[in-house]
Amino acid sequence: MRLSSQAIRVLERLKQDETKSVTEFEEEGFDQATVNRALLELEEEDLAQSEEQEEIVQEVTEKGEEILDNCSPEYKIIQQLDSGITPIQELEGNTNIGVGKAKQKGWIDIDGGKVSKTSEGEEVDVDPVKDKLENENFDDELEERGLVRSEARTTKTLKLTDEGKEIEISDIEEDFNVEAPAETPRTGKKHYYKNILQFARETWMEMGFEEMSGDYVVPSFLNFDALYTPQDHPARELHDTFFVENPENTDLSEYEDKVQNVAETHQNGWETGSKGYGGEWSKEESERNVLRTHTTAISANRLHKMDINEEELPKKLFIVGRNFRNETVDRHHLAEFYQTDGIVVGKDLNFANLKGYISEFFEKMGYSEFRLIPAYYPYTEMSVEVQVWDEEDEEWLGMGGAGMFRPEVVKPMLGFEAKVLAWGLGIPRIASIAAGLTDIRELYRNDILIINETPVWRPNWKKNRGDQ
Amino acid sequence: MANLEIDKREFTNLVGEEFEDEKLIEEASFLGAHWHNIDGNVCQVETYPNRPDLLSVEGLSRAYRGFFDIEKGRTKYDVEKGDIKVEVDESVEEVRPHIGGAVVRNLDLSKKVIEGLIQLQEKMHETMGRRRDKLAIGLHDLSTVEAPFTYKAVQPEKVEFTPLEYDKNMQLGEILDEHNKGQKYAWILEDEDKYPIIEDAEGRVLSFPPIINNQLTEVYSGTEDIFIDVTGKDEATVKKALNNLTTALAERGGSIESVTIDGEKMPDLSPETMELEPEYFRDVSGLELEESEIIERLKMMKYGAKGGKAIKVEVPCYRNDVMHQYDLIEDVIIAHRYTNIEPELPEVDQIGQQQDIQDTTQVVRDIMTEAGAMEAMTYVHDNREDLTEKINVEKENFVKVDNPLSEEYSALRNLMMPSLLKVLQKNKHRGYPQIFFEAGNVAELDDSPVGASNKKKMAFIQTGEETDFTDARRILQVLERDLGIELEIREGNQPFFQPARSGKILIEGERAGFIGQFSEEVLGNWELDKPTAGFEIDLEKLNEELKK
Repeated sequence: MRLSSQAIRVLERLKQDETKSVTEFEEEGFDQATVNRALLELEEEDLAQSEEQEEIVQEVTEKGEEILDNCSPEYKIIQQLDSGITPIQELEGNTNIGVGKAKQKGWIDIDGGKVSKTSEGEEVDVDPVKDKLENENFDDELEERGLVRSEARTTKTLKLTDEGKEIEISDIEEDFNVEAPAETPRTGKKHYYKNILQFARETWMEMGFEEMSGDYVVPSFLNFDALYTPQDHPARELHDTFFVENPENTDLSEYEDKVQNVAETHQNGWETGSKGYGGEWSKEESERNVLRTHTTAISANRLHKMDINEEELPKKLFIVGRNFRNETVDRHHLAEFYQTDGIVVGKDLNFANLKGYISEFFEKMGYSEFRLIPAYYPYTEMSVEVQVWDEEDEEWLGMGGAGMFRPEVVKPMLGFEAKVLAWGLGIPRIASIAAGLTDIRELYRNDILIINETPVWRPNWKKNRGDQ
Repeated sequence: MANLEIDKREFTNLVGEEFEDEKLIEEASFLGAHWHNIDGNVCQVETYPNRPDLLSVEGLSRAYRGFFDIEKGRTKYDVEKGDIKVEVDESVEEVRPHIGGAVVRNLDLSKKVIEGLIQLQEKMHETMGRRRDKLAIGLHDLSTVEAPFTYKAVQPEKVEFTPLEYDKNMQLGEILDEHNKGQKYAWILEDEDKYPIIEDAEGRVLSFPPIINNQLTEVYSGTEDIFIDVTGKDEATVKKALNNLTTALAERGGSIESVTIDGEKMPDLSPETMELEPEYFRDVSGLELEESEIIERLKMMKYGAKGGKAIKVEVPCYRNDVMHQYDLIEDVIIAHRYTNIEPELPEVDQIGQQQDIQDTTQVVRDIMTEAGAMEAMTYVHDNREDLTEKINVEKENFVKVDNPLSEEYSALRNLMMPSLLKVLQKNKHRGYPQIFFEAGNVAELDDSPVGASNKKKMAFIQTGEETDFTDARRILQVLERDLGIELEIREGNQPFFQPARSGKILIEGERAGFIGQFSEEVLGNWELDKPTAGFEIDLEKLNEELKK
């Protein structure tokens, strides 16, 4: 009898245990495809047979995890009613779902916009949804609400036949087949997203840019005020920005008079030739720490730290870094994301140059067509959105913002007038396309299979991209 | 960003020319309002918060008359002198100090127009009005009330009227408690004992700003004359908003009549004047335009402009975003179209350079993958529990987020290791052994002015039936070998490792990390059931040592 070396190895293992599932083989380091091919050969020779069993596996989704960490929206509602009848507007949490579910379950009555507990609601003392999730008591409700996901998994088990038990390995001749694929070894491997970020860094350096660095926790002064964002701007509210409980505030003394200059710029334009916004400006507000919402905060700090005179300009700087926004996480949004910021500081720079740098960068990142369309950011004027043409989907993709820093930003922080070209561009989109992801959360999920099977990304290697 | 819905027929009538849907989607967006979709007559348009004058079909049409070359230059609006007066009582000083007013007469309003006005009002409330706190607007059918009007603050139980959407008289306090608008905006008046109202000569309430109007003055399709009130906390914002509304109504053919507010005539629709130096324009934009070409483009953006030593620019009274010459330059370039600018790279003599630590980090990534580890990429955000209880640590020695979305985001990690334990937890259904590393940032509390700084670390973890302490030690030695430095291991006491298998990593006697095999208890906390070992090392200390 002749068998391939792989079939012989599988047979050897089977002879030890008689039955073994494909998963067990995998745990012992076998490749699934190898086991299946070996099985075909063994079946052909009547040495083994297989049995398939379908099993429904249920697992808690991210939405379910959130309930596990906190509680279900309806429970949150019922808890808030402990103090009595409450107007619907005052309820906190995901009230749309919470009130709906609580009503459906007969826990609450709503009358003229006011919510009260029913007698049934009075009796709720544990959160039934969380309880079911905790005890893995998964039912239809959980599944319909997307808190639990079912997946059918087929398990295949290999079993020796009598003939298989009898045959001696030494009686089998090893067959050599040059066409048969071998097993792909599990090797060390870099994360595809890190590689793309690294490629972006190298691209800026190739273009002569110097790298900046900075911290995640920054004062509002850098994240907003120095960037001419009014103190009552909606982006500074709790639902957009993560504020920091500890350490709560920054001592701004290293910025010396610049704090006052920024204050005056907001109030009356200071020496920038601007009218300013008018109104009040509070130093306390600017001392409050936030998780930086954009790497532009680091660019602003770099203007401050750039202790050089005008002759040493121009200067080109970049950073690839993480930022944080208080967004509800879903397949398109993350609370933590990468951005690449760049600034070019100089006397003889203009808007056409901005367009030059951005077009150069995206060309190197594999997008030959790009355009700028008007946008608005408080700190740039010319404010533009950068869009690149996606050949595959035939549509313009938004890749971030760019512009020239307003004089209201430059003079107070740099100390003298200069032109500053600036941009903050997103990279996750390039990474999702490279790995064929439809859910951006996958970038941080670290599934061994996906990291293992995603090929190396290069902008002009279009052939090896995953399916979208 | 504000999303508007406008009727294409209305737009066409007001612009005075019909455009293909395609032209609107493709080209109109280059003005700075994005035309997302046109379905029949319904157009979805998205505008930016710096241009409240584009929040109505009237304002959009005015802008496109310039942009599409139909009527360029500043639109002039006449204001006739009227005799309506508003007295401002000093009691409003503490509550809501500013009020503006205007009258627009001889209107012919369809239901559609009224809907559009309500949309304009609501969007202005949300954007420049900061959810009515900074600004609130009321429109009233003038024929229902008697001038003069008084703006004053009163005790909540002293005044009652029938608010819109309700059919009974309510006191101001009741409105805040019971009316849906009252409930929604009560926060603005939270700390006040007295509430602002506008009443007429006979003591009838027109409005209870910023909450609700009297049903009595509701504007309907038979309304011919409108009284506009704008109240708020910032005088300049109130006046700009008033101009925006008044001119939008004037676009509908109404005639504007002034109102005397506390002795001051409003609205003031005269332009602000600014100068734009052509040379400065060319310098900033990189566009070689002649003075006459710049003027032409300013007029396309509805500015008044004429030549001279510098270009004299008249900024329309409804624009509140023009603060600097840069703002004028942007509008000139928008009129010229961003797409018509040739990208140009300047000569800048500079060699690319990376942060010192980055090079070491990249080398370490190479070594770790060569050693057989898979690279993970995890969040810096962490659950506070993951950094304490779940790794048997008591002290909460990390950055805490004040307003996290959920517990998962309530802290920034001060250790990499919990992130890698989470990675193992997520991969339990994959084959073993599993070997991961990550080079990344943590945030450490310190005595810097901010109170916390980023630190670069690298962590390694391995799990599997046969895994033990030695596996971590082996890989650490690969790092030593390839970097050519010495890492000393001394007994340690990390709370998440087994007491006998816990070590600290020292570089030249200084602490630079830890190594060990996880305790059963900690593995149980992460629902891991196979022996697991790992190490974490400070890349900055490693880098310093390498550079010595």
